[in-house]
Amino acid sequence: MTLADRDAATHGPPSARKRGFSLGDGAIQAVLVLNAFIMLYPLFVMLMSSFKTNAEIFTSPFALPRSLSPANIEKVWNETNFVRYLANSVGVTVASIAVIVVVGTMAAYAIARYEFRFSGAVLMFFLSGMTVPLKLAIIPLFIQLDTLHLIDTYAGLVLVYVAMGIPSAIFIMTGFLRSLPRELEESARLDGASEWRIMLYVMLPLARPALVIVAIQNAVPIWNDFFFPLILITSDDRKTLPQGLTVFMGEFTTNWGVLFTGLSLAALPITLVYIALSRHFIAGITQGAVK
Amino acid sequence: MPSRRRRSFLPRRRTLWIAFLLAPAALIMTAFVVWPLLSALRLSFYSFNGLRPAGFAGLENFRQVLIEHPFSDWTYNALFHNVVVFLALMVFENGTAFLLAFALLKALPGHRVHQVIVFLPVVLSAVVVGFLWKLLLHPLFGLVNQSLALVGIGAHAWLGDESTALGSIILANIWHWLGFPTLVLLAGMQRIDKEVLEAARLDGAGDFKLLTQIIWPLIAPSVTIIYILTFIGSFNWFELPYIMAGLTGSPGGSTDVLGLYFYRTAFGSTTTGIQDFGQGSALAVLMFILIAGVTWMALRILRRREADL
Amino acid sequence: MNTRRIGLTIGSAIAAWGLAASVALATEISFWTWRQEDKAAYTEIFSDFTKLNPDITVKFESFPDENYPTIVSTALAAGRGGDVIHTHAYGWLEQFAKAGYFVPLDRASVPSIDNMPADALVAGTYRADGRLYSLPFASQTLGLFINKDVFAKAGLTPPKTWDEFLAVGKALKDKGIIPLANGLGTSWFNEMFVAIFTNPFLGPDFVGDLTSGKTTFKDPRYVAALGKLLELRDDMPTGYEGVDYDTAGQLFLTGRAAMLAGGSFDISTYRSEDPGIDMAFVAPPAPKAGAPAYVTKFYDGGYAVNAASPNREAALKLVNYMGTKAFGDKLSALLGDISPIKGVEIKDPMLAEVAALNRTAMPHINVVYFRFQKPTGSELLQGDITRMMAGAITPDQLAADLTAGIAKWYAPFQGK
Repeated sequence: MTLADRDAATHGPPSARKRGFSLGDGAIQAVLVLNAFIMLYPLFVMLMSSFKTNAEIFTSPFALPRSLSPANIEKVWNETNFVRYLANSVGVTVASIAVIVVVGTMAAYAIARYEFRFSGAVLMFFLSGMTVPLKLAIIPLFIQLDTLHLIDTYAGLVLVYVAMGIPSAIFIMTGFLRSLPRELEESARLDGASEWRIMLYVMLPLARPALVIVAIQNAVPIWNDFFFPLILITSDDRKTLPQGLTVFMGEFTTNWGVLFTGLSLAALPITLVYIALSRHFIAGITQGAVK
Repeated sequence: MPSRRRRSFLPRRRTLWIAFLLAPAALIMTAFVVWPLLSALRLSFYSFNGLRPAGFAGLENFRQVLIEHPFSDWTYNALFHNVVVFLALMVFENGTAFLLAFALLKALPGHRVHQVIVFLPVVLSAVVVGFLWKLLLHPLFGLVNQSLALVGIGAHAWLGDESTALGSIILANIWHWLGFPTLVLLAGMQRIDKEVLEAARLDGAGDFKLLTQIIWPLIAPSVTIIYILTFIGSFNWFELPYIMAGLTGSPGGSTDVLGLYFYRTAFGSTTTGIQDFGQGSALAVLMFILIAGVTWMALRILRRREADL
Repeated sequence: MNTRRIGLTIGSAIAAWGLAASVALATEISFWTWRQEDKAAYTEIFSDFTKLNPDITVKFESFPDENYPTIVSTALAAGRGGDVIHTHAYGWLEQFAKAGYFVPLDRASVPSIDNMPADALVAGTYRADGRLYSLPFASQTLGLFINKDVFAKAGLTPPKTWDEFLAVGKALKDKGIIPLANGLGTSWFNEMFVAIFTNPFLGPDFVGDLTSGKTTFKDPRYVAALGKLLELRDDMPTGYEGVDYDTAGQLFLTGRAAMLAGGSFDISTYRSEDPGIDMAFVAPPAPKAGAPAYVTKFYDGGYAVNAASPNREAALKLVNYMGTKAFGDKLSALLGDISPIKGVEIKDPMLAEVAALNRTAMPHINVVYFRFQKPTGSELLQGDITRMMAGAITPDQLAADLTAGIAKWYAPFQGK
């Protein structure tokens, strides 16, 4: 039985729940469709605008572009190291997420599943990282990375992202891990399983929705960030996509068409990945706990 | 805790195991967040001569940003806007998200597609969202005004009018982030035991009763996460107002928030003037105290609520 | 066979060594700037420089304008950064000079300083030690763009005095044309907007009194000039509060607006966007007929040498080149910048007009005199002016607030 079937079964046929005050399915469906329109229409406008000239954007904002001319895309393609930037962004994002998920989960597991002295203080230590803008520390951070010979390296950038991602990862994971029942853990322990095994094979599979949330919640800002690469990366070879395109778009500040092409191209990879993986992702977030 | 556990797991090995779990995260954070931040925060007690610290100044920077006109006016103006942003997001973003999550919970035909769509803007960067909404809200060519003109409503400078600028940016923010609380709350709702919902249904509970008396209390952990992230997000708000209203919180400071004010003070902007790390650091310290303090209290209160339920 | 192979090996080793040696001799220095859009022009200028100095090549590295201060101060604090740094002028430069991040320039290392007029050198000089830290690169002039086609079609002549301006504005509006394209949606430009229209009413005497400490911004002359701005509201586009500077440019270029208060820095931008446009750049309206027509002038920035640069000699050579006539000619020709370098020919007729306007110029008061400490005159004025135009505060209140804010660090205003 698939989950959708199960949902349908538990909710029962509409007639069974017509008692009390209930919204009709039709009304709910209408709200969802309206919401979908509001979410999608601006994106449609953005895509269309990237094929337009300034004059078209200004005079006929509703209209479809006069032609699907690739001129703007060619400009981005020819004048930037697009593929290289893309590869760098993918590498940096994937590496950062992997490290964040691993070290964040380890720490959250310790805080959520064991009682030890100062565990509250340890949690607050980690959470405090979420509460101040790291931009403030950019100068000492730069000097720190310079001393470690990490300026203009992928590793330096990844470490900064990991450090920034750990707090929220721990926050989300701790919340989820705490809500898992004690019984499973205890019975595994009685069966003689090691702590390592309990964590890896008993508890973490249950925390899959939280792991997915953590990964997504970090992937988005890391993928989209241009501030830290701007300051920490100088070689064109190591630039990330948003950074490379930000610099490129600086040459076209008043050309909205080129600007939107740049923005669309920066957004496209992560959007496509999201749509391609959305089934797993949504399932991961919303259904993991039912298993 | 249960004595059973302690027997099967020696205290010494247990300590080592916990330390092993905590060490990597703690090390990375100390090296690349805590240490740089502490060295930067130290500067809040220094006066500056140009870009270099000139001497210990005690609480002078704090006095300036808290009591001295015009700095204090700018501080409180920004703080007030942060509060407005927080309240607006709590009511409109999280409220809408809660209702959407409930609508999605019903698993009507097409609900998977709707889940994908509502989360789609979340993957975009604030730069994309900011530029996009700037175009949509453009006073002369923007789609919003053009649409309103079709129904006979005159053009309005949404981002240019002090009374609507902040609201417009908040709306853009809601459009951007709505999917996140929606899916987290939906995840919380789907973790509720189906039998509980079914039993309530059979007892004749309608949607309203189901939402307020069964679902709302049972998704407390998800709600805690959303509340806290909304709070931290609103008080660190930076990128979207930066792109849509500029570093000075145009027009006339009506969209200024602490994040912008702090950044502009510490790093200056080429068009308003010079940098003051001392004042900037003092602002960051105050932001830290405020955000960490409230987060800590809120966590205690919310966790107690979770425990009570 | 064997000997041939050995010979080949030795030969290629020598060749490789020779190659390595020539690479080692050539120095590559980097030039940091926020002018991303000027890449092509600078690339050409740097290749000219390398022709004269074959052992030095220059790499152009540009950063987004709004993050440039952060990037430069971070890199310099860590002892890194470009060898030659493009700087903004006045207060912005001074904070770096104070910190010792730039090499002081003198006539021995940079002989081309002699090509610069005195008012240009002020923009790159640290007031406390009187030494030059940044070689000025261009002056900017603020005035009024006129779309001649629009005026011709409307059968009107561009206004010279304030009263003419208001009368022409009314006539244009009757024909459905926006008289003045500007709005208040871009705060950095708001300050320029104020300078453009108030300076003709203020005149050099006021600047003298202000900088010598005789008066403050509460001076009736300043308050009256601010009051004039309120009269402009009718001539600006509907929803002008939210019309930003880029949009104003589009309104002007598309002929929907007849005039635009702007800067000479945009002449080349507008031309490249609409090569066919027939426009003029003139002085803003004078208070009355026969009064001098004042434009507003300031220096944008200059070129400084990073004190931490390992290639100081090469960097100084480049900066010296940036003070020569050959460089100034190229800068004017390629970028439409008005170089202060003596003897630079301005071939473009429109830029030549601007250079002529510069002979009766007023300084950009806030930028030149009141951007040295916090709160800067700029941040005070940029915030208050939108409120004044919206009617929330009066010109008197703005003037008082501006004076009180600057008095925090500017002794002559204290107690006044």
